[in-house]
Amino acid sequence: MPAIASRLSDGSVSARLRPFLTGLPWLALLAAVTVVLVIGRGHIDKVHAALGYLLVVLVASSRSGRGWGLATAVLAFLCFDFFLVPPYLSLSVEHQPDWIVLGSFLITGIVAAQLFDRAKREAREAQARTEEVDRFSVVGAEALNGGRAEQGPEALARILRETLQVKRCEIYLFEAPDKLRLVASATGGGGAGADFGGMPESPDGTDLLHYVARYRALAVQRPTGDVHVEPSDGHLSKLLAELPGSLVTLIPLTVRERTVGVVSLVGGGRPLDAAQIRFVEALAYYAALGVERVRLVAQEERAGALREADRLKDALLAAVSHELRTPLTTIKAVAHELRSREEGAAVIEAEADRLNRFVADLLDLSRLDSGSVTMRPEIVPADDLIGAALRQLSAGAAACDIRAQVPPNRILFCRIDFVLAQRCLVNILENAVRYCARGPVQVTAALEGSMVMFAVADCGPGVPDDEVELVFESFYRGRGVPAGSGTGLGLSIARRLARAQGGDVRYAPRPGGGSIFTLALPAADVPEDASAEAGDTP
Amino acid sequence: MAGHGTALVIDDEPQIVKAVARALGDIFEVVLRASTAQEGIDQAASARPDLIVLDLGLPDRDGLAVCREIRAWSSAAIIVLSARHSDHDKIALLDAGADDYVTKPFSTAELQARVRAQLRRARAILPSEGSAIEIDGLEIDLATRTVARAGEPIHLTPTEWALLRTFVRNAGKTLTHQQMFAEVWPNSGGDPQQYLRAYVATLRRKIERDPLRPNLILTESGAGYRFATL
Repeated sequence: MPAIASRLSDGSVSARLRPFLTGLPWLALLAAVTVVLVIGRGHIDKVHAALGYLLVVLVASSRSGRGWGLATAVLAFLCFDFFLVPPYLSLSVEHQPDWIVLGSFLITGIVAAQLFDRAKREAREAQARTEEVDRFSVVGAEALNGGRAEQGPEALARILRETLQVKRCEIYLFEAPDKLRLVASATGGGGAGADFGGMPESPDGTDLLHYVARYRALAVQRPTGDVHVEPSDGHLSKLLAELPGSLVTLIPLTVRERTVGVVSLVGGGRPLDAAQIRFVEALAYYAALGVERVRLVAQEERAGALREADRLKDALLAAVSHELRTPLTTIKAVAHELRSREEGAAVIEAEADRLNRFVADLLDLSRLDSGSVTMRPEIVPADDLIGAALRQLSAGAAACDIRAQVPPNRILFCRIDFVLAQRCLVNILENAVRYCARGPVQVTAALEGSMVMFAVADCGPGVPDDEVELVFESFYRGRGVPAGSGTGLGLSIARRLARAQGGDVRYAPRPGGGSIFTLALPAADVPEDASAEAGDTP
Repeated sequence: MAGHGTALVIDDEPQIVKAVARALGDIFEVVLRASTAQEGIDQAASARPDLIVLDLGLPDRDGLAVCREIRAWSSAAIIVLSARHSDHDKIALLDAGADDYVTKPFSTAELQARVRAQLRRARAILPSEGSAIEIDGLEIDLATRTVARAGEPIHLTPTEWALLRTFVRNAGKTLTHQQMFAEVWPNSGGDPQQYLRAYVATLRRKIERDPLRPNLILTESGAGYRFATL
């Protein structure tokens, strides 16, 4: 690339000469003022001459900065002394008080040059701040504006590229939990670094981009090609100081301990001061916030769609269950009439019952899922709950030998929704009977701490260790269970109904074989006179 | 095969009407049919049936309102058919004057049992204050306020006695909690009412053979209590 090289060297020569060239006008002006003053030196006072020179110093420092201001001041001092203070054409001074004039002039000139310079620098910084605030407001607006998901990153890439003067700025965001995708890229003329030869490898041999995101690290590839990685907390300034010479710099975008993406800066950039680095840091945080916001909005939209789907599903289930029940009623009625004549009619009726239980279970499940189960807690004696559950058992289950027992000397109370708790207990009992058809199944109630425990013990095969939690899953059936018995929903519904009112359903193996399913329900305190009025006289 | 009396079926589903009518045909001499609420109210007024089977899901009017209207001028037993299984509905329609409800899908046997229970209740001579009754081995004398099983007197508190008297007077009918509060605690609100189930549990332990499988005071889930038909 000889052509590029020569152009680069041309550029650097003119750059080296430029400071001298800008000073030439002031030297010329100084010479011109000196000539005028020398011509008129018989008619003017030394103070007038000093004012003339001071004017030159002020103009020079205002236009060409402190360096030329100081240089002009010193040169003017020398000219003053040499040409205008007797003896002329000599740096010595005839009258001692003239030193005061010369000295005052030099000090005034230097101070003026300094003051001018400071004022100018402050003006420049204020200008830069204004620009930063402008950029901030743009990114802030982009980040918080509800626009399309791509707009925020695009604006961020553009602003970062312009601010840092890099060749290219790219923004990568997570499209899947472990997969980054390029979403925005800004390319421009600036940047003096060498060519970027593709994404380098990370220390552990994987793609550097994903490495940075995974470990929330900062990474820079130096011109030598080696990659430097360090933790992201607080070292951004050090990294950005290296920016002008780097091939590629990677910065993770982080919000609340979550990495949402990576910014890649390719090719050099200009040196940054502390304020600019602060700006870049804030910008990256803003951008991350924007990305996070877009993600949350998308998530919310998905959740909304899901809720709507849920609502539709519930409406559908309610309609289906209602529409199913009417024909089921007819089927049952007709089957019942046929029963005396046909053996098969009993099967029709039993199957209709089973379908009906399934519809009821589905409806319960859908209600539980949509959170539309309403609780009406009341004080319920354990006696009443067990009695009602036993009475509600299906005909087949009721034929089983079920032995119920409660403490004889006291009545236990729960604070629960009676109907929902009854369904829990019925489901557990039906399950027990299914595995222990001839019985006996034992039901007991006991107080344990703040809970009333309803334990249902059966004589079935028990639950293998690896299936203990599975039996509470919807549609799960134990191994070796005859097909067509139960819906696979009973225990799942029982547990969820119990949990919905502060209780639970748990499994334990029964000593000597079989299962114990325990329904725990919150106990209630009942005043003595309501629970045991036996001592009163009629 | 047919019995006597008149029944009325109010339902818009022809298949259900047919099934219910067949079931009622075993018990009643005449079974009338109506497919809308208006038709049903007209027939109930003109034919004066002994029992009405009313579907809640009628196309022209809310079943609850129909129930309330008929109850306003008719003493016929009303059994409601419902596909909804919200407990709130059940209580509302019992409070609206229905005597019983059957949830779809129901078996013919179940419906017939409910209907017969209503008829028995209607024909039974409710015990007056002066007569003693015996049910499931329990002897109750409302006049002397004594209860005994196998000759052994059972000691009841005033609240328990009030409960038992209310049950006996409404034997065979499902009483909502609200209806029982009105009878047992007519002048007090709130506190004792939340313990209704507690009082009933204690009473059961005193008068039932097996309190966990009661024969006298039955729990109608989500609706209330029903005392066995005398």
